[in-house]
Amino acid sequence: MVVKRRSPLRKRYIRDLKSDFGKYAVIFLLLMLSISFTSGYIVAGDSMVIAYNESFSKYNVEHGHFVSETKMSGSKERAVSELGINVYELFYTEKEAKDHGVLRIFADREELNKVCLMTGEMPRGRHEIAIDRMYADNNELKPGDSLEVDGDSYEITGLIALPDYSALYQDNDDMMFDASLFGVAIVTRRAFESLDNLKYCYAWKYQKFDGSESEKDVSERLMKELNKIVSLEEFTPRYLNHAITFTGDDLGGDRAMMEIFLYIITVIIAFVYAITTKDTIEKESAVIGTLRATGYTRSELMRHYMLMPVLITLLSAAVGNVIGYTLFKDICADLYYGSYSLTTYRTIWSAEAFLRTTLVPISLMAIVTWLVLRTNLSRTPLEFMRRNLSRKRRKGAMPLSPALPFMGRFRTRIIMQNIPNYLMLFAGILFASMLLMFGLLMPSVMNHQAETITSSMISKYQYMLSVPAEATDEDNLTSAMAEFMKYSKAVETETPGAEKFSAYSLKTVVDGDKISDEVTIYGIQDNSAYINEDIKDGEVWISSLYQDKYQLEIGDEIKLKEAYEDDEYSFKVSGIYNYEGAICMFMTDKTLNKTFDLPDSYFAGYFSNEEIKDIDEKYIGTIVDYDSLTKVSRQLMISMGGFMKLIDVFAVALSLILIYLLSKIIIEKNAHSISMVKILGYRTGEIGGLYILSTSIMVIISTGISLYLSKIVIEYLWRSVVAKRIGGWIAIVFDPAIYVKMVALILAAFAVVAMFELRKIKKNPMTDALKNVE
Amino acid sequence: MELKKINKSFGDDESRVHVLKDIDLAVGKGQFCVLLGPSGSGKSTLLNIIGGIDTADSGEIIVNGDSLTEMKDKALTNYRRQHLGYVFQMYNLIPNLTVRENIEVGAYLSDDPLDTDELLETLGLSEHQRKLPNQLSGGQQQRTSIGRAIVKNPDILLCDEPTGALDYNTSKEILTLIESINQKYGNTVVMVTHNNAIQEMADLVVRLRDGSVRDQIINANKKKAIELEW
Repeated sequence: MVVKRRSPLRKRYIRDLKSDFGKYAVIFLLLMLSISFTSGYIVAGDSMVIAYNESFSKYNVEHGHFVSETKMSGSKERAVSELGINVYELFYTEKEAKDHGVLRIFADREELNKVCLMTGEMPRGRHEIAIDRMYADNNELKPGDSLEVDGDSYEITGLIALPDYSALYQDNDDMMFDASLFGVAIVTRRAFESLDNLKYCYAWKYQKFDGSESEKDVSERLMKELNKIVSLEEFTPRYLNHAITFTGDDLGGDRAMMEIFLYIITVIIAFVYAITTKDTIEKESAVIGTLRATGYTRSELMRHYMLMPVLITLLSAAVGNVIGYTLFKDICADLYYGSYSLTTYRTIWSAEAFLRTTLVPISLMAIVTWLVLRTNLSRTPLEFMRRNLSRKRRKGAMPLSPALPFMGRFRTRIIMQNIPNYLMLFAGILFASMLLMFGLLMPSVMNHQAETITSSMISKYQYMLSVPAEATDEDNLTSAMAEFMKYSKAVETETPGAEKFSAYSLKTVVDGDKISDEVTIYGIQDNSAYINEDIKDGEVWISSLYQDKYQLEIGDEIKLKEAYEDDEYSFKVSGIYNYEGAICMFMTDKTLNKTFDLPDSYFAGYFSNEEIKDIDEKYIGTIVDYDSLTKVSRQLMISMGGFMKLIDVFAVALSLILIYLLSKIIIEKNAHSISMVKILGYRTGEIGGLYILSTSIMVIISTGISLYLSKIVIEYLWRSVVAKRIGGWIAIVFDPAIYVKMVALILAAFAVVAMFELRKIKKNPMTDALKNVE
Repeated sequence: MELKKINKSFGDDESRVHVLKDIDLAVGKGQFCVLLGPSGSGKSTLLNIIGGIDTADSGEIIVNGDSLTEMKDKALTNYRRQHLGYVFQMYNLIPNLTVRENIEVGAYLSDDPLDTDELLETLGLSEHQRKLPNQLSGGQQQRTSIGRAIVKNPDILLCDEPTGALDYNTSKEILTLIESINQKYGNTVVMVTHNNAIQEMADLVVRLRDGSVRDQIINANKKKAIELEW
């Protein structure tokens, strides 16, 4: 019987691990952290998606809602329920919460859009209130606190999530929600009855919805029918309701990014590992030659050198997944809870996530190591024994002028000797600096946006008027005419300085899955006091923000289309108007009204530096002011600020670890020479000046090039990836302070490593140079 | 083992050096053969060709009836694995394996290795078996490397200047060891050396100069290693 013996070389593993603990520890840590973060993120994300999807049946989420101008009478309710829907009262009122923006208050719900209580209790008394968990977090409110709402004091009894407000959109037309200035709340039915200024919101569920018709068709038909029964102020089917759908669309969207992030890290680590392996092979080349001469096969040696990296990756994946599922899952879930007002979730174990965060990194590590080993172990035993491992035939030393100072020449030689290591260092710094730049860029871009919006605002307020639905009811022309007359009178203002503008809204024509932008076209009066450019009839100007997002130039042709129809319009850009507030176009009101077949006297709103108080709120669709223009950036900062900080920390840690590993390799590779120059009488500082300064020079050069490349890559990603995912635009601006911060952080990381390395040089025994032992 | 018309050159065109010229050689089973010659005579190259870690430009090498010249890389590895033990001037031990483990590195390759404890005893390394190479003297390290080579009980033991880095007394110790192994296990030994004194312990002495065999001497009255003087 043949007994399969185990290779005695296996005994080296533990000893290698002990003697090179630092290297293995940082590789393990870096991989483990990346894997735990990714697995935590995927698990949290996947569990959230499942919880979100299940919430529709669990909390019985509406199919849509409408707001009636008045409370429906019993007969109207009966008529509505004959339209094939079950209708539920979802009345609310909006009240100012002192120092905490606006609260939309509902009575407790029992049937539809049921409440998910996250902490505390539901209100029971007249002056008790349960508020949205995320709004509470953003306003630092907690159960037990008191909250002054519309002059009344309420005690917060609990924090809740409403399934119909997972994204806290106040108005469905808002570009972004703002969960610090807007929240939802629940009071008891009795308490609710004492509140005034109610909005008569009714939610519906279809009695039968079998999917044979599209949701769009069904809801459009419903709207027409409803219009005949009630006076609609708002009609929002669920599929168009951002407060419900936005979260679902966005959840899990970053998953691919996280996975790619993990794979890049793994490949970088694999290459770092490969360099250390290559180095080990060089160091052990005589032993390898002897083993090969003795009869060890190449594949036996390949297996030997591959085991450690694969084992370390496996261990990192195992520990990483455990930490991911326990600690990081909660951290990542908190990130989601920081962005959305999600209901509670159960952790759901995902086999796919486990495989992706285990098998893929292990395979990547194995492939990279295998490739490097295959190349480096392909030499003959004799070449190994003679240490003749260079692929290229040596052509002698690179000529360096003796005029150069000796130390400079010495350093140049060290750099030349370590080019592959420095290339890896460069790749690592490049990746880390991209992460770092992304992390640091966000806050600066947001600040810049706030500043440019302030300086380029057309007017302090822009009022967009809203024509009531009754005024456009084609089925009832007589009453529509009357309504329109009423509307036309009601929207005249005495406010000094208010200037009428005409407007029309179109959408950009986009390919693929990009978000189509809504483009507001302003029709400006002659000699406008607000638009300080001379726009002539027939000319089309675009806002500077529009120009920046789509990289347009004067003379370019723009194609736009109607939102829900196929009609297309094309315009030629005549000028660029400095306005950072929105993606919009400007033309004279005459041109606009003529282009879109509108009456000559048509106007859609007012520019005004003073608040307009003499127009009924119901005729005002939206007010564009500083707060509404900066809502996107404010919310992005709230939801992503924590994530950005995490990225910064990770990037600095990555730089630190890579610089440590690679400079360690360089020092170890030269241990013999270092001992030798020590014997000759060089001082630690001088040796550091040779070996560490060379690395410093390369770190500085790598950082410089990385900054430049990162800027290009980030700008590209911003334009291609971010542009796809946000409606509207945030111009990307690289504040010089970012570069300063990045250089400072990377160099600080290097300084820490240099200190360690200098200590190592100091400890390096001189006898090393005299030893003949392999 | 038989070598027929072995030729080997290094370098290109003008810088081409013909290091082995029509070498013919036959070494019988269990013989102790010494390849003697000054530095640059081609003896190490010849040993490497016999060991299958270098190839001849022309000629044929037959070992145990198999032609090495026909063998591809994989077959050559197998040949080394099954038939050869190698000892070098530099010991090339694995620094983080103990003496015993370094010997086990060789044992692993054989289906029928020698008993490691017995061998450690023979090598005089029993008491040092748990030491790492850097805790050993040069002689002890070379004994370990010999142990690694012979533990798999190879048919042929190839030694390239095994005493080159050792002092007189240690060299004699090592030569005595190789001699006793040759006698005890009956392996064929081919040893490269530039030390003239060593020829006296060989069955067959092959003198090389400028890549050619100057003469081959069958040593009728060979001495014991312990009797050698230089």
